[in-house]
Amino acid sequence: MERLIEILEGIQPDVDYKNCTDLIDGHRLSSLDIISLIAELEDEYDITIPAVEIIPANFNSADAMMKMIERLQEDL
Amino acid sequence: MDLSFLLAGCGKSMTSFFAMTFLFLFLPSCIIIYAIVPKTWKKYVLLIASYWFFWLISGLLVIYLWLSTLSVFLLGLWLEKLQERMKTKLKALPKEERKAAKIPLIREQRGVVVLGVVLHIGFLLVIKYSGFIIDNVNTLFKMLDSPIRAGVPSYLMPIGISFFSLQAVSYIIDVYHGLVKADRNFFRLSLFMSFFPQIVEGPICRYSQTAEQLWQVGTIRYHNLTFGVQRILYGMMKKIVIADRLNPMIENIFDKSNNFDGGIIALGAICYTIQLYMDFSGSMDAVIGVAEIFGVTMPENFQRPFFSRNISEFWKRWHISLGAWFRDYIFYPVTTAKKMKNLTSSARKKIGNHFGPLLAGSIALFCVWFCNGLWHGAAWSFIFFGMYHFMWILLENITAPAVKWTNTKLHINSECLAYRIMQIVRTALLVIIGELFFRTNGFQAGFALFKRIFTQFSFTGLDARTLYKLGIDWHDLCIVGVTLLIVFVVSLIQEKGIVVRDALAKKNIAVRWGILYALILYIIIFGAYGFGYIPVDPMYAHF
Repeated sequence: MERLIEILEGIQPDVDYKNCTDLIDGHRLSSLDIISLIAELEDEYDITIPAVEIIPANFNSADAMMKMIERLQEDL
Repeated sequence: MDLSFLLAGCGKSMTSFFAMTFLFLFLPSCIIIYAIVPKTWKKYVLLIASYWFFWLISGLLVIYLWLSTLSVFLLGLWLEKLQERMKTKLKALPKEERKAAKIPLIREQRGVVVLGVVLHIGFLLVIKYSGFIIDNVNTLFKMLDSPIRAGVPSYLMPIGISFFSLQAVSYIIDVYHGLVKADRNFFRLSLFMSFFPQIVEGPICRYSQTAEQLWQVGTIRYHNLTFGVQRILYGMMKKIVIADRLNPMIENIFDKSNNFDGGIIALGAICYTIQLYMDFSGSMDAVIGVAEIFGVTMPENFQRPFFSRNISEFWKRWHISLGAWFRDYIFYPVTTAKKMKNLTSSARKKIGNHFGPLLAGSIALFCVWFCNGLWHGAAWSFIFFGMYHFMWILLENITAPAVKWTNTKLHINSECLAYRIMQIVRTALLVIIGELFFRTNGFQAGFALFKRIFTQFSFTGLDARTLYKLGIDWHDLCIVGVTLLIVFVVSLIQEKGIVVRDALAKKNIAVRWGILYALILYIIIFGAYGFGYIPVDPMYAHF
């Protein structure tokens, strides 16, 4: 989780990623941030994030992102 | 009453949900038959009604729809079979070997998806765009003084093909991604593909949104019936009182060479934008209302787009289902492609967090807007329309950090009312200019009109002679103005998060029925129909 927060802060600082649960719905992360984030997550966790996974529910919080990452790692 | 429309393909007037034949004959007969048959038969009544409707508006071209459904049905089952085989194979392998073993199996499934996309989009390209492509190739040969000329083909195109083809493609891709299971029931899939209220102008539904709902339909409830009728009437008011009443004026400005001055052309562009919105969103109200009668909730296709603060937001509120389709099946797949991700990673390191991903995002955005323009029609003016919006969205993205910086430095509150109104007006103006090109017959004609707004601008007022030339009078303008005010007030209330119909439902019976009767009377008295009026063809039915 620490590494994920680091990645997020590298893309868009000034957000409380530990507690925020509306990163997408609250417009804290833009579509451009998401494009960067996907590239970073795929490199870091050796996963492939298909387009269908790009939904607010998977990116609204760091916790949701971590769950998606773990699920995609298990799918391999 | 002329019943000749009952012959195959002769019911083209029914492409409008506000045609008398649809509202007073087709829809009531469907509702009556639906209401009297046992519950288990209701879904089949909807399926038969849908194919009957399509046969009435397109005749034998109904075969396109049937073949399209059959192909996605078979492709879906094929995909499912491959997915099950992959699961079994992977289960038998140790975890570390699975990743490598998965690659050829996924490739096989992708092959099926590609086949489905090529079948549907390729077919659409051939029947909708081959004439345009060959025409342009011939022009190119002519410019090169070559004697080679290819014959321009012409195909019979079923109404709504651009809508049901996109639904077919989305179903195949969703099955591939495991978002939905392949449907083993051909009738259920057929109903999803053909449901009569949405087949002409959308919305473009996903299988997960409507298929199961349509298959589980039950008894018509009083609440659904009244809410559905209310929604149809509201759409009817938008279409018949506003869009149809503005029609003579718009035809005179755009289709006849009356050499109006720049002021009238600007007025025409504004009125055409209003007409397009009222026609399309009014039709969507009817679609959603008809579906609501049968207890089916369709996705909304409009969310008060003229309250948008930028072009990007406008397209999230206008024709939502098309925008969402392009986002999910073009924008994200392009930006998440391996090469694009590499481009994003390396660009971020060199040009920072904002402009780094913008590079890949812009390429994907270009693909989206090129397709969006072409989807609207096979002509350069439509491609220009797409590129026009692409350019503004790109510019918004590029200038976003500079605008934010300027606002901070100048202590401008970007959330204050004046700033928001300025953004809304600017967005509306940009949309109106885009619609001017969308409406004119070809890019050159559009540019000539646009130029005249600036070079020959004079607005002496709407005197009796000008109004006569425009084909309208003050009476028409007042009715349109008052009706627009009603729509604006309703939209403003909705913008504040209040569901108007729920609020009305809480009022006493006299108020509720009073409003309903007032709406009916308003449409009867002020609607533009009958002798001397030519209703607007449903604008999106031919896309």
